[in-house]
Amino acid sequence: MLEVQGLWAGYDDVAVVRDVDLEVPPKGATAVLGANGAGKTTLFRAIVGLIRPRGGCMRFDGEPLSGRAPHEVVRRGIVYVPAERELFPQLTVEQHLELGAYCVPGAFRSRRQLAYDLFPRLAERKRQRAGTLSGGEQQMLAIARALMASPRLLLLDEPSTGLAPRLVAELYRLLAALLREGVTILLAEQHVQAALKFCQRVYVLKDGRIAYGGPAEALRGNPELSRTYLGESRGSPDPTVGPP
Amino acid sequence: MIGIVLDGVVQGLQLALLSVGIVFVYGLGGVLNLAHGQMAVAGGLAVAILLQARWTPLLASAAGVVAAGSVALLLDRTLLRPAYTRRGEERLLLGLILTLGVSFALDGVYALWAPNIALTLRMPTLSIEVLGVRVRTASLAVGALSLVTFVVLLAFLKGTRVGQAIRCVIQNEVGAVLCGVDVERVRTLTVFLSGLLAGMAALAQGYFSFLGPEMGSEFTILAVIVAVVGGVRSLTGTFLASLLLGLVNAGLSYAVGTYLTWIALLAVAVLTLLVRPEGLLAYWP
Amino acid sequence: MNGRSRLRSVAPVLTTALLLAAVPAILGGSSYGLRIASLTVIVATYAIAFNLLFGHTRQLFLCVGALAGLGAYAFVLLSRVGGLVPVLALLIVAGGGAIFGAFLSYVSIRRGFGVLFVGVVTLAVSLMFHNLVLGLRQYTNGETGLVTRGIGFGLGEHPKEAYFVLVGVLVMALAGYQALLRSRHGLAFQALGDDEISAELSGIDVTKYKVGTAAMASGLIGLIGALYAEVNGFISPSVFVLGHVDIPVFVALLLGGMRTLLGPVVGAVLLSAVDEVVRPFGQLTVLTYGTLMVALFLLFREGVVPAAQRVLVRLGALRLRVPRRS
Repeated sequence: MLEVQGLWAGYDDVAVVRDVDLEVPPKGATAVLGANGAGKTTLFRAIVGLIRPRGGCMRFDGEPLSGRAPHEVVRRGIVYVPAERELFPQLTVEQHLELGAYCVPGAFRSRRQLAYDLFPRLAERKRQRAGTLSGGEQQMLAIARALMASPRLLLLDEPSTGLAPRLVAELYRLLAALLREGVTILLAEQHVQAALKFCQRVYVLKDGRIAYGGPAEALRGNPELSRTYLGESRGSPDPTVGPP
Repeated sequence: MIGIVLDGVVQGLQLALLSVGIVFVYGLGGVLNLAHGQMAVAGGLAVAILLQARWTPLLASAAGVVAAGSVALLLDRTLLRPAYTRRGEERLLLGLILTLGVSFALDGVYALWAPNIALTLRMPTLSIEVLGVRVRTASLAVGALSLVTFVVLLAFLKGTRVGQAIRCVIQNEVGAVLCGVDVERVRTLTVFLSGLLAGMAALAQGYFSFLGPEMGSEFTILAVIVAVVGGVRSLTGTFLASLLLGLVNAGLSYAVGTYLTWIALLAVAVLTLLVRPEGLLAYWP
Repeated sequence: MNGRSRLRSVAPVLTTALLLAAVPAILGGSSYGLRIASLTVIVATYAIAFNLLFGHTRQLFLCVGALAGLGAYAFVLLSRVGGLVPVLALLIVAGGGAIFGAFLSYVSIRRGFGVLFVGVVTLAVSLMFHNLVLGLRQYTNGETGLVTRGIGFGLGEHPKEAYFVLVGVLVMALAGYQALLRSRHGLAFQALGDDEISAELSGIDVTKYKVGTAAMASGLIGLIGALYAEVNGFISPSVFVLGHVDIPVFVALLLGGMRTLLGPVVGAVLLSAVDEVVRPFGQLTVLTYGTLMVALFLLFREGVVPAAQRVLVRLGALRLRVPRRS
């Protein structure tokens, strides 16, 4: 679905993403893992056109993607949920959903129903201003808003950041529901365990380069391998198991 | 008494026409347009020139307003490009300086090309009686014009898709981009809109007394102060601030001299900022 | 510090002082030329103050003209009406200016005003001053202005001495600026100018620095305003208006280079040169100012001095000690 080849991207004089090759197959979940500053966010921003790549090329469904303005990217079916969420503090939940469907105004009603079905807590807070929602609810709203544009590929940047472990579990249950709806997911996470469990394909970014790209199960079952690539310590709790 | 209040409201409405444009451009582009007054003057001068060329007042006015919008658009697309490549405070500062430079350049251009042209719009009668009170017809005309404009503007902003896009870009540009809003297009439209409004303010000035080519800076300063007092990102706040300052102006002008009125106006502006540093309303409500 | 590096650090200010002192000789007694030179020195001094205010501490005080005007009118009134000795009057003016500037700064900080709001508030203050002077016609003679001949030290009668006094103040301001930035405060200023919040979190008392800077700069501006009243022989509200003070000062600083030592001086000189070239064209002055500002900021984002420094470094004639960041 999404092919990235030899991508270089960065800010000012600094190259953050270096020569990255990446493939996101349709109808599944792919994870991009890496430490802070490894380049995950930069990669995502380059994909959706928030920053201009310096080199390499990207293709979505075979059509070239590089150099497209962000609003065009949304119309093609790729929607990005950034780590900062970027909500509109003074607008209500309902207004967010309306704006999410900016590119597909006709589908607003049906998509809205879907959004409220997936996020009952948001349905309860239809008229509440985004600025007054809790962290978890804001994250939900950001995803719900993204869903309104009928994305075929959803980019999520560290969606579990700042969420309590219970909420993280709920988040991943939600993402599973999205997969069932046919949405392809590309996920950037620092929360390694949850992402590894959920996704089929994994890429590891180290200093802007791909250190590993392949099936997730290879890293899942192999703590040695995962430590080499991810350098993590043992004993990080897995939020997707345990009491709901 | 009623006459004063009416005058104040109408003056406030004219101020609002002027200041709302500032909020638009700042809210959407992060640029404080210090050449805003010169846009208004461009419109006013255009109307005056067309009137001299025997155009009908209606056509001339419409053309002038469109001219103001076009000048604004032209400026934004050409000279302000470098500002838009920066972000945040750098963009603000660069925009400030660029628009300041443009305001000077335009002042010079107007002085060179149209030093003796002034816009005066005369009403058929000087004053008419409404509800037992003598009012200047000009005030009524301006009041009506402004109110209609604002009603249309409000409908546009709340009712249309583009209007909603404008609102959300003002609140969070990145968020709007993520929703698929073409920020460039929206910004262009808004700049044009702000120019149109400035043109209308020039018309109002023509009705009140006269509009001269040198009035650009005064307009800009007024507009900026009112916009900041209203909360430079809030349209409603700016509207309220305009009314407030219009009333203060009208009220004091009758009682004290011009200078003291100015001082009082400025003091009110400063006091409001001291009490509410974000402006009357920090964001679009 | 060994002799060579001491010489090197004093060199810029010393050279400037010597060059400026040589000007009357170069001009060969032209009183018009001397007047232009005096005004240039005044603008340069304003620019040093504005450099501290806006260049280093991001306080967009759009009331330079008003502060100068306050100083001028206060000086005249204190001398004439109050009958005070010039030195005392000057001290009061400088002190008053400093207090007023510090007050503006403190209030802005406490209320959390950003750059824009400080600009608007000080703009309002400027306008209030203008209208105050016009309104208090019985004291200030309103728009007509006041003739200030024979006031104070009587420098108005001795243009050459007046010029040297002004140069003296400029050189002292330059030296003070340099000393300030080389002292342990210099690093604090750099941190401040970069990121106020980080500076605060590093333990720098941002408020103290900003208010202190505002005090120094405003005192200097008030002082120059008073000296202007003496030297010029005439003051009126339109002399201190935004377009005649704040804007040229801003442009001069931009031209010369913000946050540099000699930027204000170089900028003021260049601006005067441009002024003289454009003067015969009358109306074009305003147009030129505008076009200049636009062109400047687009091309020479950092100003002439940093650009010149870069050229000199490349020629090996200058070695940069501390990397400068804009």
